[in-house]
Formats: sequence, C-alpha cells, structure tokens
Amino acid sequence: MAPDTTDGTLEGLRGAATTEPVSGRDRWLHLGLVASIVLLSAPVLIAIVFSTKGQADLAGVPTLSPGTNAIENYRDVIVDYNMGRYMLNSLVMAIVITVGKLVISLLAVLAIVYYEFPFQNLAFFAILFTLMLPIPVRIVPLYDVMVTLGWTNSLWALTIPYLASATTVFILRQHFLAIPDSLVENAKLDGVGPFRFLVFVLIPMSKGVLAGVAVIMFIHGWNQYLWPLLVINDNDLHVAQVGLTIIEDVADTGQRPWHLMMAGAILTLLPPLALLVLARKPLLQTFGLAHK
Amino acid sequence: MSTKAVYGGGPRGWLVALALLAPTFAAAGVFLYYPAVRALEMGFYRTRFFGSQRTFVGLDNYAQLLTDPGFQLSVGVTVAFAAVVVVGVMAISLPIAYWIHEVESGTTYYMLATIWPYALPSTVASVILLYLLHPSLGIGTAWLATIGIDFNWFRYGWAAFTLITLVAVWNQIGYNVIFMLAAIHSLPESLTESAVLDGVSRTRRLLWIYVPLISPTLLFLLIMNTIYAFFGTFAIIDITTGGRPGGVTNIIIYDLYRNAFEFDNHGIASAQSVILFVVVGLLMFAQLKYTDRYTHYGT
Repeated sequence: MAPDTTDGTLEGLRGAATTEPVSGRDRWLHLGLVASIVLLSAPVLIAIVFSTKGQADLAGVPTLSPGTNAIENYRDVIVDYNMGRYMLNSLVMAIVITVGKLVISLLAVLAIVYYEFPFQNLAFFAILFTLMLPIPVRIVPLYDVMVTLGWTNSLWALTIPYLASATTVFILRQHFLAIPDSLVENAKLDGVGPFRFLVFVLIPMSKGVLAGVAVIMFIHGWNQYLWPLLVINDNDLHVAQVGLTIIEDVADTGQRPWHLMMAGAILTLLPPLALLVLARKPLLQTFGLAHK
Repeated sequence: MSTKAVYGGGPRGWLVALALLAPTFAAAGVFLYYPAVRALEMGFYRTRFFGSQRTFVGLDNYAQLLTDPGFQLSVGVTVAFAAVVVVGVMAISLPIAYWIHEVESGTTYYMLATIWPYALPSTVASVILLYLLHPSLGIGTAWLATIGIDFNWFRYGWAAFTLITLVAVWNQIGYNVIFMLAAIHSLPESLTESAVLDGVSRTRRLLWIYVPLISPTLLFLLIMNTIYAFFGTFAIIDITTGGRPGGVTNIIIYDLYRNAFEFDNHGIASAQSVILFVVVGLLMFAQLKYTDRYTHYGT
C-alpha cells in the first residue's frame, strides 16, 4: 500500500469539518470507527491465528495464542487438499467472465449510445431487465441448457452464462453519455469509423470506469458458489469457493481439520481482498466516491 | 434518439448496431430469457425420473406449495430473515459511513478498513463464523456461555437464525457503507457549514438533515439488501445450518435447490423460481415507482 496515493484519494472531501477546531467529540468518532473496524475484522484475524495451529491444539475450545504449524497447514491445504488448483480455476473463471463482460458490453453500449435504430429503448430495456433474472429464478432450465450443450464440467458452464451484464452496460452507458458531444462530432468530422472511435477515443477516455467495473465483476465472479457447485462434479475443476467446503467434507469422516479450513478460508479471501486494496481508486470512483 | 447518435441512420447503420448488440442479446437470450421462460412452463408440469416423464398439472404445483406448511414456514422465515438483515446492515452501516464523513483525519484508512467486507466471499464468512460460533468448539460460543447464553444453534432455532443473520450482515456492510458514504459526500458542503454554524448536533444533523436527503440511496440499498437476502444467501445456509433446526433457517432459495437437485422435483422447484421472480419483480417495480415519488433528490 502506497501511503502517498492513499492520502490523495479523499482530499477535499471532508468539507466544512476541516475549518472546525478539533473538538473532544472527534475522539468519539475515532473510537466508534476503531470499534467498528475491530468488530468487522476480528473474525478474520482470529481465523488467521487458528490457521497456524496444529490438529492437537484444536481438541476442545482453542485459545487465541498462535500455533507453529502455519507453513505446514497452508502447504497441506494448497497441495494435499488441492486448493492451489481450485484457486487457479477460480482465477481463470473470474478473469474470463470479467474480460468477456467488458468486451461484449462495450460493443452493445457503442450501439446504444452512438447509433440510431428502431426499438432502441426497448433494446436497452431488454438488457436491463436481465437484472430481474438472477440464477435462482432459472436454475433448473439453465442446468438443462448446459446438459444439452454438453457444457457440464467445463469452463464454458462457469463463464458463458454470466456474460450478458446489465450492470456493466448500465454503468458504461452512463459514462459514455457524460462524454462531451463536441468530442464525438470531431471524431465524426475527421471521418473516424465506429471501431476506431471505440478503440482510440472511447476506451482511452474510460480507463478509470473500465478498471472499476472490472474490479466489481472480478469480485462477483470469484465469489460465485451456487452455480459452480451445481454444474461442476469433476474434482479437478472445482472453484475455490466449493473447494473450501470440500476440506470440511473430507473432514466429516473423522476429526474436522478446522485449522485447515481456516487456512482455506484465508486463501479464498486473499485474491478479491488484495484486488480491492490495490484497485481502490478506480473502484471507489466507479461507485461515485472520491471523484473530486 | 440522443444527440450523440452520430453513427446511426439508415438500414446500414441499423445492421451495424444490431451486430454490435448481437453478442449481448445472444448471451441474454440463451442463458437468461430462454431458461426463465422454460421455468415458467415447467412450473405447470410434474416431472419424474430426471425429467424423462412429465405430465401437465396446471396450477397444481402452486396449489401444493401454498398449502404446504413446510413452504409456508419457508416463506415466513425468508421474509423475517430479509427484514432482520436489511434493518441490521443499514442500522450498522449508516453510523459508520457518517463517522467516516465527519472524521478529520485518517479518512481513507477508515474507509478501506470498513468497506473491505465488499470483497468477502459468503463462503469464507460462513466457514469462519461456523467455527467461531460452533456449539461445542467455538471460541465465541464459549465466551457467550460465560455470560449465560447457550448459543447451541444445532438445537435452538433462534441461535441458528442469529448465526445466518450475522454472516449475511457482515457480508453486506462494505457495499452499504460505500453507497451511503458516496451519497453523503455528494451533498453540498454549504449544508454542513450552515448546520454547524447553527449549532445542530452531530446526531441531529445525521437524522434530520442527511437521512432525508440521501433517502433515494437508502431506498436503493433497502431493495438491493432485500434481493441479497432472498437470492445471495444460498452459500450461507448450505455451509452452516442446512436449513435446520426444524426448518427455521430453510429459506426459499435453499428449499428450491433441494427440491430441484436432491429430491428431483423439477416442477415444484420451477414454481418456486416463478414465485421468486414475482418477488424480485415487485421489489424492482417498487424501487422505480417510489424512488421518484416519495423521496427527495438532494443531489
């Protein structure tokens, strides 16, 4: 984390409070915030501590002192319990979904914003309406479609059904509509075709929002559980979310390896969390924060 | 249509536009619209032997569901769960967002340290709290026992319900803080200045000035949190309680999954899908309708 960029993010957002003399009440603000952060983060910190213990330390209710098995535990989870493989599968799934959504949504928004054609509003509405069709609303027939296409147990099933993205289309449309008209007209006068316009004008002007949407979509893709659980049966093709529960299932036969489950949970949390921290600027900008 | 439509016009432009829309329409058609329509159709049939035999039963699946005490319990539990999650997560997130807005130093650090659960997978949240609050092994359960609370969610419905609510609230806080903070930040600074000059206390400023002004965002979050509670919480139930004890945590989406893929009852599961669609449809409709009419746009 680079402190210089972090500090700049919210500069100028504090408003009138900066002119107020530091009061005793500010201490309560800090106290409230620190208490909230402790409550929100404590379960993860405790899980990290438990992930360093050995099986013998976990016979009853464990203590909060760290164990000495950290390296061994994480190695076991990554290698023996296949979490390394599962995380790679999740990574591929999330990246393919993110890139696919961005590409086909950019094309669709190019048509919706910069073209004129019959039933234009209807076309936009038809894409937005998919917000009303989350996976549970269509899960049985969608599974049948996968069987018909022969896609069960494949990367296709994990990615292609997610590609149509109302959220991406909506955010990109808002962004394109805010681009000054004069710029577009100049491009037209210069005889720039639509694809060159997209690649050389629109995309370079939209780096921030594209990065923000990419982070949102990556986290969303990485965190999928229900659909991968249903559509993948092959042990080598599971995603991290499902792999995490396999550690538990294996454990069901005897003593539960809670220390390994905690290690698996921390590993599964790391990629989306790291992305949130590293890409905080475009992410928060896309959400309408830190825009000043 | 828009002044930006520089490439439109004429059948040639229409064709290009159609080609640009084709990938999104194809994906939406095959994987969203077609299965949704099929779900509607399958709700009128009873299927057996993995779908190889089916008979038309009209509205029987719906009649069976609505008179089934198990499903009635499931609906009640889902509505209660959604209500508690929505109220809980918003009541916790609002002061956090407000404090971050008000605090004079460390703003960005506080923000990152409170919104990070946006990246928290529900499976991870479930597995961690499953252990920390395990009836016999959990460190949290042991602490609770010292103050006389027997948090045995294997046995007590209230404890199981509390467990899944805790996971869901924890999971949603980041998302809520982000949107609330963005809404508060977008209010004009002169508003804060004059309120401070008039000596309006911090709590009053939040409840009497900011909350009414950011009500469109609060309504948006109310709807999104409700949709989350209905549709985004399968992993929580599947990993922690499995609907137990006595169906107290058997929310509709979990019941639907088991009907479809454990009990091979595709007709009933599809009817449940249609009922869920009506729910999400009504919620979206309410958002569109009441956002415009009853809330104030301060921005």
